Amino acid sequence: MLVNLPGPWNPWLGRLALSEIPYTNPILAPLFVVVVVLGLLMVAGITYYGKWGYLWKEWLTTVDHKKLGIMYIILGLVMLFRGFIDGLMMRTQQAMAVGPHASGMMGAVHGYLTPFHFGQIYSAHGMIMILLAATPLLVGIMNIVIPLQIGARDMAYPYLNALGLWITAAAVVLIMASLFVGDFAHNGWFGYAPIFELAYSPGVGVDYWIWTFQLVALGTTLGSINFIATIVKMRAPGMKWSRLPMFTWASLSANIIALTSFPCLQVAIGLVAADRYLGTHFFTAGFGGNLMLYTNLFWLWGHPEVYFVILPAFGMISEIIPTFSEKPLFGYVTMVLATFAIAGVSWLVWLHHFFTMGMGPYVSTEFSVATMLVGIPTGVKVFNWAFTMYRGRLTYTAAMYWALGALFLLLVGGLTGMMLSIPAINYMVHNSVFVVAHFHMMLLCIVYAIFGSVIYWFPKVFGYTLNEAWGKVMFWLFSAGTALVFIPMFMEGFMGMTRRLDWPFDPHWAPYLNIQVLGILVYVLSILAFVVMLYVSIRDRAQHRAAADAWGTSRSLEWLTASPVPFYNFAVVPQVNARDEVAWRREHGLSAQRASHYDAIHMPNNTGIAIIIGGLTFVLGFALTWRIWWLSLISLLAIIVMMIYRSAKGDPGHVIPAEEVERMDREAERTMPRADLPRHSGGVLGGAIAYDSGAAGEGSANLRGAPDYRP
Amino acid sequence: MSSAAEKVDPEKVVLWAGEHEGHDVISTRTFGFWLYILSDGMLFATLFAAYGVLSYAHSYYTGPTPAQFVAPWYTFIQTMALFLSVLAYGFSMTALKHGNRAGVINGLLAASVLGVVFLGLDIHDVLRMFGMHITPWTSGGLSAFYMLTQVHAAHIFFGLIWMLVMIYQVMRKEFTEEVIGRLISLRMFWQFQAVMWVFIYVFVYLWGYMS
Amino acid sequence: MSHGHGSNPLAHPEVQMANNRSYVTGFIVASLLMAAATVLVSGHLLPPFALLLAITGCAGLAIIAQVYFLLHMDLSEHSIWNTVALIMFIPLFVITIGLTWWMFSQLYLRTMPMIPGMPGMH
Repeated sequence: MLVNLPGPWNPWLGRLALSEIPYTNPILAPLFVVVVVLGLLMVAGITYYGKWGYLWKEWLTTVDHKKLGIMYIILGLVMLFRGFIDGLMMRTQQAMAVGPHASGMMGAVHGYLTPFHFGQIYSAHGMIMILLAATPLLVGIMNIVIPLQIGARDMAYPYLNALGLWITAAAVVLIMASLFVGDFAHNGWFGYAPIFELAYSPGVGVDYWIWTFQLVALGTTLGSINFIATIVKMRAPGMKWSRLPMFTWASLSANIIALTSFPCLQVAIGLVAADRYLGTHFFTAGFGGNLMLYTNLFWLWGHPEVYFVILPAFGMISEIIPTFSEKPLFGYVTMVLATFAIAGVSWLVWLHHFFTMGMGPYVSTEFSVATMLVGIPTGVKVFNWAFTMYRGRLTYTAAMYWALGALFLLLVGGLTGMMLSIPAINYMVHNSVFVVAHFHMMLLCIVYAIFGSVIYWFPKVFGYTLNEAWGKVMFWLFSAGTALVFIPMFMEGFMGMTRRLDWPFDPHWAPYLNIQVLGILVYVLSILAFVVMLYVSIRDRAQHRAAADAWGTSRSLEWLTASPVPFYNFAVVPQVNARDEVAWRREHGLSAQRASHYDAIHMPNNTGIAIIIGGLTFVLGFALTWRIWWLSLISLLAIIVMMIYRSAKGDPGHVIPAEEVERMDREAERTMPRADLPRHSGGVLGGAIAYDSGAAGEGSANLRGAPDYRP
Repeated sequence: MSSAAEKVDPEKVVLWAGEHEGHDVISTRTFGFWLYILSDGMLFATLFAAYGVLSYAHSYYTGPTPAQFVAPWYTFIQTMALFLSVLAYGFSMTALKHGNRAGVINGLLAASVLGVVFLGLDIHDVLRMFGMHITPWTSGGLSAFYMLTQVHAAHIFFGLIWMLVMIYQVMRKEFTEEVIGRLISLRMFWQFQAVMWVFIYVFVYLWGYMS
Repeated sequence: MSHGHGSNPLAHPEVQMANNRSYVTGFIVASLLMAAATVLVSGHLLPPFALLLAITGCAGLAIIAQVYFLLHMDLSEHSIWNTVALIMFIPLFVITIGLTWWMFSQLYLRTMPMIPGMPGMH
């Protein structure tokens, strides 16, 4: 029933053998030593300072959405770095290998990477950046911000939240394991039929790719259910739909996309697994299989996924710009509609990833038109942001820099996207680096929004602001790097350079490739600036203590509670009276009002089961990759047993008495700078005065529409 | 702008809600689980899309097509087993409404026995087809046929495990919000498998048979 | 996370919506429709296209009956969000299957040799 494997297999270790560890590889072997040394240093450090108990109690077993969010973000940043290193290797390889006479070293004919190794690098780069860097970063930020923005104590399912994190972490560990045990897929991050079939990719690389995908899809689906249920069911009293902050709206639409599209990915990849493990013929060449079916099923997920990552980024921009323009977001309702329009159209455009398939003009036309339609709601958003800034009181903080930079990249990426939506142009530039440059503009738009929101929400989570000057240095370096890498890439695309070349044969590309290496070096400097920013900010944290409203001009509900946020989020659940509640309270002089009465709070208990199941999913993925059947079966059974155990045990939670809540709240109040003294003009003039108290808000009629911005 | 500040009386405005309304545990659970079920429906939809693409004449690679091996009345008995199982589960839920523990357990037992019957018939059918050398690795079309039907069977299998767990919990525990939330979630899961089965029965078995 | 508001969880509306008559109705309607579809198909009682329409109709009605009578999808206060979620998903099911089929039927039209008389679904 199972397929015949090319190569050795034994019942105990499956395909695993000592020869699978690439200790002779001149790049991986030293890297492995570095990783082991760093790992040992970390273990030694934690043991020396006696922090194991702290780590286990406060982090590894936590169900607190903020801590889980922080861990998601750390995971995402680490993988962003790993993905960047992959990018650095690709850029240097191409620059070294360009032209027919380029010399080679370390076994490569041109450059320093063999084609097989280069293939693994670009596959890992794409997969890591989309699924294991951008997605965890966004999920992490959503995790932290959504419950705060809607006035909830936690997510709807705190345990499920932890489970989602640890399954994502298992996916990360699995893809990192592929560096040192065996190899990774070389079929590009989205795979091609039939090259990923066993006959053409006999190694374990594709299997690593399959199970990493499955794990991250599982983790993200669990997360999306949690977010949707949280937003629908857990809003504070008075938080009507018409008052929901824009980031929460954007996250809701993004998670609807995730919930609906990730099953398609699971099926697409699951059928590849069936082909490779069971010998079915879904995507084989011959025996009635269909090669393009794979591409279709993959992009059925793949394109909605693109919007899954960009919509929260739009939401972040929609939070940052009003805060630093001291005006409410322009066109709230159109913004919500645009968000859901993008989410809806995202389901009608996936074929534009393979216009060249040959299904004829009718089908291409539909998908081309649908793709162009995305431009309308996106345009609405861009104009709304522009009108928000128009005649606002703009403060150019580092967060605002990143948000504005994101707008610029969105413009470049969006317009090149419009070009690519035309099938005739697509036939010309399909699979060229023009396309690569286009989607990097879009993904960097997301990265910009993420950096902006990390700076923006950092004081809420940690209680002090990040260093502004270094944040701006990083912004300029990062932007210079972006320009130097991707503008030449657009030009190369027009010169006919296709993507994924381990050997760029045309010497005319050389100057452009060299500029890109320069850009990569500037990116390295921007990473250093990021590290310096963190260091300086942590060092000077006492001077930059943040108030509840860290920016003095913030608008949404998360800025009502103390900074850093206590584990119970709100000492007393707020009654929401307006859209932009915090701006409304500031405007009416209510910022200093405190609750007179505290209630006992019921909180969920920590649990170690989530991390154990996460670990077991890693074992399952690893065992399936190496076809160690007994281990796969045992880990699957163990997962089921753990789930039944958790189900039987339940979680009674614990109660924090009202007096204790009051004491902690007063303590937080005492250590914070005064919340009712904003840094700027007090929000009396300009836009900060304007708010929208929602449909039923009292006296809101004269405040809606165009407010008067008299100085 | 003449600010609306004077219209809000700081003495009267309600700024804090307190804990007066704890959230509804059962509804939150069942809503989240319903979302999972719908994403599971998307999984089936994708499998149907794959089946559609792989059910052309050339997909069977000159091998057998469903018209040659589907036995409509046999599969109809399977259908009835599943529908009856879902009905039994429904009776168990009505017993729950009245707090009738024995009724709940009897309903769950009947539902699981009928679920086992469904699964047994499915396995028997697969073995019959294997006996005729009609296997998933014969052709792409058959791969899709097996994948769709057996993914459904796998859902039934895991549903049965869950049902056993619930029988145990109903016997041992009180009717807490957690237990009730799980019972309702399982009800939706089980009923949804019947909904998916209608699609599979009509569009895979019957349509395959008539083509 | 139990909130323990002291009330009896069995009184929850989602428990109380269970209804034997509704379940039996759903069962009978769906079973009859499936039986009808089986009779039509096994006897080849209609020309192929009419048969396809007929069994599609049976499936559609059976699904509606099950969704309404069994899954309690309606507009009541306690089902509304479930219904909204379902209604949101239905277009996606249609898009996923429909556009894929359309795409590949057009592709096959242009790439696969049509052999007359070959058995198949299209």
